[in-house]
Amino acid sequence: MSFLPAFLLALIAAVPMGWALWAAASQALDVSAWQALWADPQTLRAWGMTLWTGLASTVLVWWTVARLLAHGFIRQQLARWLTHVPALLATPHAAMAIGLVLWLSPSGWALRLVSPGLSGFDAPPPWVTTQDPWGLGLILALWLKEVPFLLWVAATQLQREDLRRRWQAEFALAQTLGHTPTTAFAQVVWPQLAPRLRWPLLAVLAYGLTVVDMALIIGPATPPTLAVLAWQWLGDADAAMQAQGAAAAGCLTVSVAILAGVTVMVLRAWARLLRVASSPLLLQGESPWVGLVIGGAYLAVWWALAVGSVSGVWPFPQLWPSLWTGDAWAQVIASAPTVWTTLGLAAASASVCLVWSVAWLELTPRRWQQALRPWWLLPLVLPSVLWVVGLYSVALQWRLEGQWLGLLLAHAVMVLPYVLLALEPAYLAVDPRQSAVVASLGQGRWTDLLRIKWPLLKRAIASAWAVGFAVSVAQYLPTLYVGAGRFATVTTEAVTLASGAQRSLMSAYAALQMLLPVLAFALAAYLGRPRQFEKIGSMKDNT
Amino acid sequence: MKSETLVQPALIFNRRQSLTLLAVAMSSCVAQAQNTTWPDTLRAARGQTVYFNAWAGSERINAYLQWAAAELQRDFGVKLQHVKISDAADVVKRIRAEKQAGRKDTEGTVDLVWINGENFAAMKRDGLLSAPFAQALPNFQWVDTVGKPTTLVDFSVPTDGLESPWGMAQLTFFADAQRLLKPPQNMAELLALARSQPGRITYPRPPNFHGTTFVKQALIEHAPDVKALAQPVTPAALAAQAAPLWRFLDALHPHLWRGGKQFPQNSAAVRQMMADGELVMALTFNPNEAANEIAAKRLPATVQSWQFAKGTIGNTHFVAIPYNAPSKAGAQLVANFLLSPAAQARKADIDVWGDPTVLDVARLPAAERARFQSASRPGQVAVTAPVLPEPHASWVDALEKEWTRRYGV
Repeated sequence: MSFLPAFLLALIAAVPMGWALWAAASQALDVSAWQALWADPQTLRAWGMTLWTGLASTVLVWWTVARLLAHGFIRQQLARWLTHVPALLATPHAAMAIGLVLWLSPSGWALRLVSPGLSGFDAPPPWVTTQDPWGLGLILALWLKEVPFLLWVAATQLQREDLRRRWQAEFALAQTLGHTPTTAFAQVVWPQLAPRLRWPLLAVLAYGLTVVDMALIIGPATPPTLAVLAWQWLGDADAAMQAQGAAAAGCLTVSVAILAGVTVMVLRAWARLLRVASSPLLLQGESPWVGLVIGGAYLAVWWALAVGSVSGVWPFPQLWPSLWTGDAWAQVIASAPTVWTTLGLAAASASVCLVWSVAWLELTPRRWQQALRPWWLLPLVLPSVLWVVGLYSVALQWRLEGQWLGLLLAHAVMVLPYVLLALEPAYLAVDPRQSAVVASLGQGRWTDLLRIKWPLLKRAIASAWAVGFAVSVAQYLPTLYVGAGRFATVTTEAVTLASGAQRSLMSAYAALQMLLPVLAFALAAYLGRPRQFEKIGSMKDNT
Repeated sequence: MKSETLVQPALIFNRRQSLTLLAVAMSSCVAQAQNTTWPDTLRAARGQTVYFNAWAGSERINAYLQWAAAELQRDFGVKLQHVKISDAADVVKRIRAEKQAGRKDTEGTVDLVWINGENFAAMKRDGLLSAPFAQALPNFQWVDTVGKPTTLVDFSVPTDGLESPWGMAQLTFFADAQRLLKPPQNMAELLALARSQPGRITYPRPPNFHGTTFVKQALIEHAPDVKALAQPVTPAALAAQAAPLWRFLDALHPHLWRGGKQFPQNSAAVRQMMADGELVMALTFNPNEAANEIAAKRLPATVQSWQFAKGTIGNTHFVAIPYNAPSKAGAQLVANFLLSPAAQARKADIDVWGDPTVLDVARLPAAERARFQSASRPGQVAVTAPVLPEPHASWVDALEKEWTRRYGV
């Protein structure tokens, strides 16, 4: 492997990222802004709320995914579940929050079902079920949204043929030694799988600590989380308030970094404990209900959004709206042209990142890949508000604001870590001896790649592309700033209309936002389907 | 067709008119701005694309701008591109960043921006706006600068021709008449209502625009010396004028939704809770919002709007041209079109948008005046109350900070 291509590849990705990071850091390092942040009476409590919701949701997600994987692995049901995961992944975060509010708020469906008959309520009771001061609603929403993500990443690991076979064998062996399936999983498979989920878990943690849209809808309001405050301050017309917002984003970044370090240490300690403890900690017992709860929650949320999108007047305690309206859907159809911009941008940025990732994994030495990996994954763990500040500065300095190229660059930076994360496990699992065999048959490298290696990897390649596509579709702030608002995507359209906070419009647009990623995942599933050896099969039948 | 018959007469005598205005109304600031005449502007504008950054949270507003774009393309060959945004402060931020990055005269990305209040004050202070242009627009002659003084003074900051008025706003409340029989007519009655129906009233959490406005309304009703509010805020003035306000809020909050310990994020959330029955009343800045929502089937037809009898805070929203707008001529032409009686009448029509006009309708020629007559709709404000001027823009920040310190933590 030669040095030059690897170096060039690293440069292509590192320059925009490093530049953006530098620009963001220089804005977040304003001393007076940090003083203002410290002096603000909301900061401390908002920060505490951020830490609580972020950590609690992450721990819950980790626990849930561990149990689900144990259950799925033991019962061999993982593959079946995973066909449903893309639809869960494609549900926009904000839509999940809206759907939950439609159910859980004091005027929500849950209470309407029992009112006034059972509950005796003619008007919504003064209960604190959503936007609760303890952040429980936000934790619930984050949990529902992040479990499918982590499960899906774990599945990409289990797609590695080599690992899956080895783990199955070891799992079987452990059982023959007298361990129960749960213990066998906990002591043999899980300790090997868990370290591979470290980065995705850190992404979950970072997301929980920095989420804005969900926190606005279902999170506590007085005070809100620090990410919401940072977002509000960054959006202030006053430059000093903006600086304070940048400092708050910096504070979030530092929090993410520290907690990420703590998380890694805790995971190591837990792994050690699992090895010595006779009982498989936290993995004990089966809990099929967890999966059912999550699946049921998604169905309930989609149903609520569907009804919400056509609801007009709908006073409590009526079970169904008293007036229906199709206006919201008419709006969605009217903004259909934005679908094409979204599609082009998402396809382009996912493709660019895919090509780069394949080239990176193919051409660079393993040593480089490991050394630089944390850098490529930075957009996953740093607050998105900080990236927006940085990427926008880069676009201005390179005179790319309001240009398609600038927008592509901004999206590519945000998309890259997801594509790499999705592709890497499978790509590295390919047995290098295969290539040696191909070469020994007198075939060149391209023949190997085009006819053997890439076809074998098509499932991973297609699903990495689909993930990149979905991430690009979801970008709001980078699209608005770098694109100078001139490129309307389904997400900018949805978010701007959501600023009017019409429940029906928000529900209907959630469907539009889901549509493209679901199609991309479906396409990926189609392209990545296992090859059918029809000829061989029919020959067999004939004999 | 419609707009041609409208704008043309204005064009005929516009030049003299604008010169008179130049001499009389505006002093130093306009003088250097307009070396070009209006026909020059029209010529320069033809073929230009105007990127109009405007809040797009309402499908009606978006549809109105689509109509305007079609008219402008047909009559003037100007392409109006609505850049949909969720918050005008984002635009201010972008223009400031462009200036910091050294973008010159015509190297910007924004030609026209919908703005008022704090955002305008920030842009004016930081030199982010182009030369004064508003009073030189032919249609500015019809603006009701006497009856609606906020068309020249934005949150007590003189506009100096840097922004052109577009529409009027006034703090308005609405409620289902079946659930709220006697709407409160001032803050004291509101407090009494909150006491009798605990947990059924609230306002958005400042610094949300509507929440801050609610606080300012209470401030105006309680301040010992209202005139002091028109001056830039000082710590002494804040202490003296706001003391009764905090006493009032201290008394009110225990009776609000969630005991005044939590506040909703925005007025839309308040409206939604009112529609669901969780609250008894909601607030808005558009006197026709409830009528709009009834027409859109999102509120029952029994909802009624009202303003406090002695008046509520009102202001004007504007369009402004950034210093680095590439299509300045086109932007001026669009601003002038938006001020035309046809465009203003259409905007005021509840079936279209329902945004009150900035023009002096009584002064318009009879044919133009007729455009403004539309039948009243359910949910509209029955009796219009006087407009109370906004306190000086500097009060906003001071009030928000103090509110947050007292109630926001």
